[in-house]
Amino acid sequence: MNHGQHSGEAKHEDDAALTEFLASLMDYTPTIPDDLVEHYLAKSGFQCPDVRLIRLVAVATQKFVADVASDALQHCKARPAPVVKDKKQQKDKRLVLTMEDLSKALREYGVNVKHPEYFADSPSTGMDPATRDE
Amino acid sequence: MKRRRKARVNSEAPPDDQSAAEFSFTLTKVAVSQICLSVGYTSTDTSSTLNTLTLITTKFLQSIAELAASFSNSANRTEANLFDIVNGLQDAALATSDCFPGGSTLHSTESHCLIRSAVLRNLSDFVASAFEIPFAKPLPRLEISGSYGGDSTRAARSRDEMKSIPAWLPPFPEDSSLYRERYAEERSGHLWEKSDSVIGHGTFVEETSGFESCRGRSGGRLPMRRASVRFKVERDWSNGGGGKSDTRLERWRDKFEVKKRIGEEEEYIDCADIDAGEWNM
Repeated sequence: MNHGQHSGEAKHEDDAALTEFLASLMDYTPTIPDDLVEHYLAKSGFQCPDVRLIRLVAVATQKFVADVASDALQHCKARPAPVVKDKKQQKDKRLVLTMEDLSKALREYGVNVKHPEYFADSPSTGMDPATRDE
Repeated sequence: MKRRRKARVNSEAPPDDQSAAEFSFTLTKVAVSQICLSVGYTSTDTSSTLNTLTLITTKFLQSIAELAASFSNSANRTEANLFDIVNGLQDAALATSDCFPGGSTLHSTESHCLIRSAVLRNLSDFVASAFEIPFAKPLPRLEISGSYGGDSTRAARSRDEMKSIPAWLPPFPEDSSLYRERYAEERSGHLWEKSDSVIGHGTFVEETSGFESCRGRSGGRLPMRRASVRFKVERDWSNGGGGKSDTRLERWRDKFEVKKRIGEEEEYIDCADIDAGEWNM
């Protein structure tokens, strides 16, 4: 009996939390605009007139991007910094999103990014001029 | 040289679909760069890095939508609800990462409430903790937007484009406007728990009533008074007098003229005025 009461209370609390969360989505403005999310949803055959559910998808996508970016940032920070003698340059250290960090972060999410290591406009680029003539 | 330049211009002119895809991709790129900026990044090494992250974002969004749509379709519904989205999110979370807390009790019978889903709880925490980063610029909303289940390029068609359909037929109901009106109304105060699937009321009544009103204007019947149609008869004697006679019917918009030409002189005979489908000779 007690167990049933407890589970009923817990369910009631969960319901209240869900309602509160859905209500908070009405006031929350995701970074990805509703119209843009709607466009992609409609493109995939998704129909829903409730703006809260569209925002839920927008929030999920925003969280995914933020998680990937923060993981890439951790990879960037964990890399040993190059030795810079100039103090000014040490102060002005800017965080740059590189493909290397991004691919490492995405690998944790099951996305394997392959990118060419080096681009050359012709096979002879970078070769010795003497050998190029031959 | 000119030809080459012309060819390049032609190849650069994108069709509507391509330009729409590029536009949405560019908007997503702005949003993704804003999120990266909020995390702490200031720049990217190449543009392809940001493009890659943007592409993966769009794929993630579409995969959630496809999963939710497939869940709703398998439950014989066309409109997705919260259950479908949460199920889709959980599947996407399972696909993108190895595991998440609460994944083992995903389909247990005790977890009736959706908030027990760890993915939803994480999202709830994210909404409560993360700062709001509104999009850089407000998006202009187009007059005809086919995003709600339609295609904007095929939505608007005037009667001039559909020449195969006779003018006396009643006008087509404007799908785009119907959808837009219905969508605007539903969006203003529609909640999924009050939708058709939950309550069982049909919102199609509005749509059908719109169609009836469209039909009601003409009622599918011909109007009593219509524009007059004229014919002119022309006989061509140019092939040596008493040769072959050539009668041609020429249609100039609503007016038919049959011209009768005898010898070199032209003589136009108004032979008929058609009013209400009858010949008045």
